[in-house]
Amino acid sequence: MANTEKTRGGFGAWLLDPKRRGALLVTPAITILFVMNIFPLMWSFGLSFFNYKASSLKEPKFKGFNNYEKVLTDEKVWERFQTTAIIVSSSVIMQLIIGFLMAMIFAKVFPLRRIVLMLVLTPMMLSFVSVGVFFKLFYEPTFGIVSFVLNFFTEERFVLLGSPEGAILGIVIADAWMWSPFVMLLVLAGLVSIPKYLYEAAEIDRASKWRTFWTITFPYIKSLLLLAVLFRTIETFKLFDVVYIITDGGPGSSTETIAVFLYRTAFQFFKTSQSSALAYIVLFIVIVLTNLYLYSVNQRQEEVE
Amino acid sequence: MARNHREIGKAGWGYTAMTSVIGFIYFFPVLWIILTAFKTRTDALAVPPKLFFTPTLDNFTSVFYRASITTGSSQATDMGLYFFNSIFIAGTSVGLALIVGTLAAYAFSRFPLRGNDTYLFIILTTRMMPPIVVIIPIFLMFRLSGLAGTYWGIILLYTAFNIPFSVWLIKSFFDELNPEIEDAARMDGSTESRVFFGFCIPQILAGLSATFVFGLILTWNEFLFALLLTGVETRTVPVAMARTLGGEVGVDYGLLAAIVTLFLIPIFFVTFLLQNQLLRGVTFGTVKK
Amino acid sequence: MTIELKKLTKRFGTLTAVDSVDLTVGDGEVLCLLGPSGCGKTTTLRMVAGLELASEGEVYLGGKNVSDQTARDRNVAMSFQFYALYPSLTVAENLAFPLYGEGLSKTEVDARVARISNTLQLSGILNRKPGQLAEGEKQRVAVGRSIIRDPTCFLFDEPLSRLDVQLREEMRGEIKLVLQDLSRPTVIVTHDQLEALTMADRIAVMRDGKIEQVDTPHNVFQRPKNLFVAGFIGTPQMNLLPATLTASNGASAEFAITGGQTIKMEVDPRISENSPGTKVTLGVRPRNLEISNEPTPDGISSTIDIVEPMGAETLAHLSDGQHDLRLVTDWRVPLNEGDKVHTRFLPGTTHIFTADEQVMRTP
Repeated sequence: MANTEKTRGGFGAWLLDPKRRGALLVTPAITILFVMNIFPLMWSFGLSFFNYKASSLKEPKFKGFNNYEKVLTDEKVWERFQTTAIIVSSSVIMQLIIGFLMAMIFAKVFPLRRIVLMLVLTPMMLSFVSVGVFFKLFYEPTFGIVSFVLNFFTEERFVLLGSPEGAILGIVIADAWMWSPFVMLLVLAGLVSIPKYLYEAAEIDRASKWRTFWTITFPYIKSLLLLAVLFRTIETFKLFDVVYIITDGGPGSSTETIAVFLYRTAFQFFKTSQSSALAYIVLFIVIVLTNLYLYSVNQRQEEVE
Repeated sequence: MARNHREIGKAGWGYTAMTSVIGFIYFFPVLWIILTAFKTRTDALAVPPKLFFTPTLDNFTSVFYRASITTGSSQATDMGLYFFNSIFIAGTSVGLALIVGTLAAYAFSRFPLRGNDTYLFIILTTRMMPPIVVIIPIFLMFRLSGLAGTYWGIILLYTAFNIPFSVWLIKSFFDELNPEIEDAARMDGSTESRVFFGFCIPQILAGLSATFVFGLILTWNEFLFALLLTGVETRTVPVAMARTLGGEVGVDYGLLAAIVTLFLIPIFFVTFLLQNQLLRGVTFGTVKK
Repeated sequence: MTIELKKLTKRFGTLTAVDSVDLTVGDGEVLCLLGPSGCGKTTTLRMVAGLELASEGEVYLGGKNVSDQTARDRNVAMSFQFYALYPSLTVAENLAFPLYGEGLSKTEVDARVARISNTLQLSGILNRKPGQLAEGEKQRVAVGRSIIRDPTCFLFDEPLSRLDVQLREEMRGEIKLVLQDLSRPTVIVTHDQLEALTMADRIAVMRDGKIEQVDTPHNVFQRPKNLFVAGFIGTPQMNLLPATLTASNGASAEFAITGGQTIKMEVDPRISENSPGTKVTLGVRPRNLEISNEPTPDGISSTIDIVEPMGAETLAHLSDGQHDLRLVTDWRVPLNEGDKVHTRFLPGTTHIFTADEQVMRTP
């Protein structure tokens, strides 16, 4: 057997040997990730245990869990968590519902579908900075369109960003506007891969629309929906640019998300180590959250089987 | 007697009208931005907001030619270079992530290891950290290794950003494929690479396109790392945009809108091209033998 | 309950996929639509099902004009080429799926599922999902799902095309048994003539959207109406030799085969109605050729090119200089490549086709 293996191409065959194949294919990705992401992560994790200030030239002193303590006992931190939680959950839920509905709508072939789809995808294509700057303008009581339109009904200048609730709403709308097309595209890519003959079989079997949906459509897009929720949650947790530009965390600090707070801690107050500690706490929370998602989905899958 | 073709999955103009309304709602803010690009400074900040105005191309010229304060004549800005940089950097990193990610996704899907879920999850966690936190180590890393300001540095970094999503998304598509067709091909004597390129890849083109589009959008608009890690030669457009914000007389909405509009075009174009893959409608099933 | 198709036509843009098809399938009859890829057989089937609506013409099910109704309202049962099993449901749930529209009680549904799974030997895999089934099992579930109902007719789209040869043989017999129990008209689409020949009561051979011949399997084989059917039915393919009628006199005629050889054979006397010089095509099946030691007037000389042993028979490829012939004979006949032999056309087995491809006379 060794002879035939050799004649089939030596090193190449050794590389593609089924036992090694999986590992080989995965290596490039893992290497890049490790160097660019994991290594820096470990570095900054290390930093969080020292007393390191980027501004001073003092030698960093080992402080153990001191930083973590300080962060966890800080009331302001918990407030920020709460704010972030509200923004994340509202925005993700909105994106999920709207994105899903839109995907169902765009799954059908209709005239001018391409053009309309491009219109819907444009919000995603803007940068956070642009969205931030212009939405701030839209929300502006004097110059903004929102106020202008509502003026017709209320005879008053509409101030959205003046109240904490309004400010949060403003941010959530901007974020959901930008990213519901993301959910839509993801679900759409799944809908598109459903074989037509399954629907034909259902038609022949005279299945109701609802049954057709549950039996054929939903199973195909379940995994994609999860993916969408997963990634949007993670990304929204990191939301910085939009918040910073539209409300700057205000009014007061009612819309200061964790990411904005981190920024302030690290670069305005120069508490580098503390912000590292906080960041790792955030990381921990997000890890727990995503594990919950994945776990609950796997659970449900096992129930079905 | 002509008959109406009522196929499953098709709809008519009434449907188009309804979806157009949705499309318009989404597009309106973007439309406003584009309109603003054609407005003069006063028009942009008019009270009440103006829908109709006399358009001007000043903003667009300002993007490429800035009147120099000192010499009094126009000076070409480097915006052209920045556009090129953005296209090159984003395109390359997303492309790399796609290739590397597809290989890894294939492995995760077809040759699952015992720790599969753990590896996948770790890959996912690399996306979870707010950039602020890793910025310092990465900055130092880049400085020390001489990667700061180079194309390769930022490209590698962006590739790393795009890998998690690519791997997860593409894996989910590989999971949906019917392995029997591949086995049939293997029995027919196809080599592994032919099975991969001839069968698997064509079937997941929709997923690959979606991944490419998303990756492109994310990378295209990335600001923070670009700010710190690109040099004068490799600067991308978002960084250049931010520099106009710190302007003398407050935000020049018109100029910003012009940059945004121009910056939108390449992405718009790429997405439009890839639409074909994303919009097949419900498919006709697997490839017929 | 019958199926009637009247002048059924289907156009896709400028392409006419099905061209004015007239067909009747009787109660309990099994009809096969047979033909090469692209001949319109699947489109015709889908029009019977209601998955495509006809551009022209009508479909009648049980005497009722259903041409304007879609599949949902026609109450037909169909088994798809790719099985179309619902991936998220178990085999039992797949089988039960069609019954939900009929308002049956749960016990009724379970009873029917049990009955069908017994008939098709699915009892052991009722709890598996399609993804875990072997090809043959999937095929049986697909068939089961269509026969669990009581529809107006049964439609099968290439039911065996995805099975390997051995499975195909098994399933052919099984399906034939199952079909015999059903008392509804059944239409099967296939491109495999062996399937058609074994399973059908009648075969409709199609080409380019038209029906070339509708007849029993025996007749389609023995009495092909034109060149296309003759060449399509029968493996190995019938030998088709272009020739010219040189002389005819009563019961025998002489033909000059292009390439120089002449052959003389007994024919139906009506052949003499054609004048000498008429171009024809001679069709003779491989098993109706015989190797003879001596040259005979009713044979031609040829050289053996390739010999393919097939077990109980041997297939020989011969060449007469211009044409390739296929000959099948008993395995014991000695054949060697390169031999020059005389090939005799067995009397009364040659088909003669006129230039416009219609059968002039069959022996």
